Amino acid sequence: MSVIVFGLARISGNPLDVMLPIEAMPEDFLRLEKHLGLDKPLVTQYFIFIGNALQGDFGESLKYGGMSAMELVAQRAPATLELAGLALLISVIIALPIGVLAAVAKDTGWDMAAKVMALLGQSLPGFWLGIVLMWVFAVMLGWLPTSGRGGIEHMILPAITIGWFQVAAIMRLVRSSMLDVLDSEYVKLARVKGIREWKVIWKHCLRNAGITPLTYFAIVVGGLLTGSVVTETVFSWPGIGLLVIDAIQARDFPVVQAVVIIFAGVFIMCNLAVDILYAYLDPRIRYR
Amino acid sequence: MADITTQTLIPETSSRSATVWRVIKRYPVFSLTVLVLFLVIPAVFAPLVAPYDPFAGSLGARLVPPFWQEGGSMEHILGTDKLGRDMLSRVIYGARVSITVSLIAIVIGGTIGTLLGVISGYFGGRTDSVVMRLVDISLSLPTILLALVLSAALGPSFTTVLIVISVLLWARYARLVRGETLAIKERDFVARARVAGASHLRIMLVYILPNTFNSLVVLATLQVGYVILLESTLSFLGAGLPRAEPAWGLMVADGRELIVSAWWVSMFPGFAILVTVMSLNLLGDWLRDHYDPKLKNL
Amino acid sequence: MKLKLKLGSVSAGLLAMVATVGLSTVPETAWAERLVFVSAGFDESNRVWDVSKPDHVQYDPYLETLLEVNEDGSYGPRLATEWDHSEDFKTWTFKLRKGVQFHNGWGEFTAQDVVHSRDLLVREDSIATLGDTWRLVESIDTPDDYTLVVSFKSPVTRRLAEYSFARSGDLKIVSKAQWDAEGEDGFDMPAGTGSYQFAERSLGLNILYKAVDDHWSGVTPGFDELEIRLAKEPATRLAMLLSGEAQIGDLPRELHQDAADRGLKRISSTMSVDWVSAYFGGMYLEGDPARDENVPWTDIRVRQALNMSINREELLGVVFAGRGTMAMISNWTSASEGWDPAWQDFHDENYRYDPEAAKALLKEAGYGPGDIKMEIWAYTSPGESEHPAIADAMGIYFNAIGVDTDVQMLDWPRVRASYRGKEANCCMWPNVISWRPAIQGVRNWYYSKSASNHFNHPDVDPLYEEWIETLDTDRREAIANEIATILIENFAEIPLFWFRNEVFANGDVIDSWTYPGLGAGRTTHYDNIKSVN
Repeated sequence: MSVIVFGLARISGNPLDVMLPIEAMPEDFLRLEKHLGLDKPLVTQYFIFIGNALQGDFGESLKYGGMSAMELVAQRAPATLELAGLALLISVIIALPIGVLAAVAKDTGWDMAAKVMALLGQSLPGFWLGIVLMWVFAVMLGWLPTSGRGGIEHMILPAITIGWFQVAAIMRLVRSSMLDVLDSEYVKLARVKGIREWKVIWKHCLRNAGITPLTYFAIVVGGLLTGSVVTETVFSWPGIGLLVIDAIQARDFPVVQAVVIIFAGVFIMCNLAVDILYAYLDPRIRYR
Repeated sequence: MADITTQTLIPETSSRSATVWRVIKRYPVFSLTVLVLFLVIPAVFAPLVAPYDPFAGSLGARLVPPFWQEGGSMEHILGTDKLGRDMLSRVIYGARVSITVSLIAIVIGGTIGTLLGVISGYFGGRTDSVVMRLVDISLSLPTILLALVLSAALGPSFTTVLIVISVLLWARYARLVRGETLAIKERDFVARARVAGASHLRIMLVYILPNTFNSLVVLATLQVGYVILLESTLSFLGAGLPRAEPAWGLMVADGRELIVSAWWVSMFPGFAILVTVMSLNLLGDWLRDHYDPKLKNL
Repeated sequence: MKLKLKLGSVSAGLLAMVATVGLSTVPETAWAERLVFVSAGFDESNRVWDVSKPDHVQYDPYLETLLEVNEDGSYGPRLATEWDHSEDFKTWTFKLRKGVQFHNGWGEFTAQDVVHSRDLLVREDSIATLGDTWRLVESIDTPDDYTLVVSFKSPVTRRLAEYSFARSGDLKIVSKAQWDAEGEDGFDMPAGTGSYQFAERSLGLNILYKAVDDHWSGVTPGFDELEIRLAKEPATRLAMLLSGEAQIGDLPRELHQDAADRGLKRISSTMSVDWVSAYFGGMYLEGDPARDENVPWTDIRVRQALNMSINREELLGVVFAGRGTMAMISNWTSASEGWDPAWQDFHDENYRYDPEAAKALLKEAGYGPGDIKMEIWAYTSPGESEHPAIADAMGIYFNAIGVDTDVQMLDWPRVRASYRGKEANCCMWPNVISWRPAIQGVRNWYYSKSASNHFNHPDVDPLYEEWIETLDTDRREAIANEIATILIENFAEIPLFWFRNEVFANGDVIDSWTYPGLGAGRTTHYDNIKSVN
């Protein structure tokens, strides 16, 4: 994996073409190449990279002099996590009830409405939604600020933009797994026993139905992280998404490498966490 | 299961409306109509249907509003873009571009994924582990970032976009087909074939692959919409198709600054994306419900 | 029953969200004393040697230079009160201002601070734009705290010296005392001498400056606080201006008309700052292995034809809403050495819009319709977003005279790497560049030994080499004139327009802002921003 990341980052170009002013003469290019270690053969650079990376050192950012890549990522991470967290919260709060509703009231108008909402969510480009939301709520109505990081009012529009796509995905998952569970023996038994309908739904079904969506949690997280790239650009939210886009444009390899590896790492960890959670929550395993 | 419930609820009056209703419920009429209108006809018949050449601009006629607004005219029904190119023609040709990109990417990604999936599921063991590891890695790489880096390295072009999207798609197919293969290879007719001395290749090609077909079609349909959206996001970030191409995503990205003043530059292609992707998703859902409920969670 | 419950829970959730939104609307009184300037972005760093000139916009409020650039482009005193040169122009002596205090109590400004500031610019990792000039310094003597004697290895003309030491150059004065005490870490809270001082920076978000009470100039800025906010998306910047979150902002030219229509006030620099031209790839000297005679525009007739295919008036109106003036050649303005108004006649005759004549020229050169296939590279950079529109338009004009043109969207590093690596034979690209003295421009773009030159001609190199040695003003003017004439008569590129820098402001808050532009940079003199009150 590291080879892929390293290789891709390097072939994307020479950071000096971004950094150096037009005035730079050939000597300046040579001087800086030497200073940054870019004149060494690629293989050597790769091993230096790996050696350092294993110690947690991803090198110094080429664009932001004096700051190490890890430092930058660590500095910007909270912003993205904040946003992703809020986005996840919003999408779950909206998707869960609607998913349940759609499953319970299957094939009725509510189900249709939910399907339509889900469809809409998965059919709009994120950046378009972001810009439209910004114009409607920040410029025309003036209710919220347009961009930047600040209090919760700054987080709402970007969080909705990221979360919108996930609402559809989560809703579908909840709906389909609820449908499965609603038909199961266990639930029929509970109904026969005379337990109130809403209790059946909430207490018994949801707990079991919640398992399947959980397994897709990792993918949802992945979606949130990638969604953040576009959204942070539109809303000027100084998180990792914006950092990595700037880094790619500036050919800032250390930062790009650091971010890609961290994203991948987070994704893998989420998968692991979900596996563990799954083992914990699956009643078949629990009631053994 | 869903069909049984609804069918018993519909009163069995032998009237034509009941039959019609049944037909409508059986086939995804709505989404198919929309798709045909918005995607298939424009894509196939673009040169006949579009009033202008999508690449020909006239700097004197820039940003002409659609005909119902002040300043618009019937000459350019949906207005013109920044370079005076007719919006209607570009949206029509855009269907062609979107379909081409999606189809090719899905064919490439799907073929690679399917082949790897079948091999992995059939042979199991080390091959399986290796392929699944690749799948995991592929799914865990941040997709957009990879696209951007590749684009920075290779320059934005049709090929780059195709490579990027195929790389992103193949893993899903591999996983799906592997799962199916695992199930199918335990079936009787496969065992019989093996006993009869059929080669591995023959078994895979003749017995296993055709049975995965249904699932593949469902997945592919669901992914066309995803690919179109992905293309538009890549264009927004500057890693998409070459500029002059009338691609919907590129048009939306290009017109995003003018969203308030010259809204038609972004809105019409955006609307085309919305409608197309929605119907594709509806179609995909229907296909899945009717042919392969196992895929509910995709 | 269950339906109602579901409905209830959903609406409760939505209500809660709306309530949160409503309750947390920020009152806008805080903005009154703070001026927010929203910018497309720049290389963010406090380390002055790590940032090249266009991005010095972030230092302008709090760091000063020895000389000032006035509204009309002339140079005046700033941290230096008098300056003069030796007979041979190798030594420049400056008398420094007394009683200037660094921010945060870092003491008085003295000659040692200038020595230190220059030392920073010649570090091994420095990418300072005028690095070559600063490396030309042989020694700097400080006979006393307020006198500076700079000795150069070779003569430096008045134009070049003043340009380098003024606001137009990159010698920003920082405190030696701070460096001695805090080293590089001191740049997390750098002290300067400007009328604003550095307060705080959030990477990717903004920089905050606070006005200084008793600045040596006696001038207090119109606003207590200045914030330079970063927003990459032009739509976002326009939204910020319209919603009142920012009071001044820079916008891409395609949004200018929009902004003006919506009541925002346009504020222009006094003089032109940037020009845009389109450059030919592959124009190396004959004998250079990279030169390929099959490239169509190695033939002067093709270059002229391409020039004549462009309707410059229309292009100016289309892409820049008419807000620019025609350029006859890159880089030369009336402020440059060797400027000759007579070029206008040649330009009117030979660069005029005449597609029929253009086609005829192509035919004469042996190219019929469709014979030439080329690419135009487009890209965007912060503050320069018009390249794609220009490239697209050029494509349309070229196609109209039978040249098959493909517009490719790349990014700046790729374009630059290509033409620096001499792999640009296929293509052309537009570029918006800021004014600099003619001699530096020639070195950058026409001298064959520089890193990324555009067009070479056998007579230019020797003329340039003579130019850098000559001190005689008349001879210098003559050389400059000769080089420019060669470039114009050989259709070295496709010159397009000059612009002033234009920003948009909220007219209810901002009354005026006077800043010169030209070499000083796109936006400067933040203390000149006058509020309406």
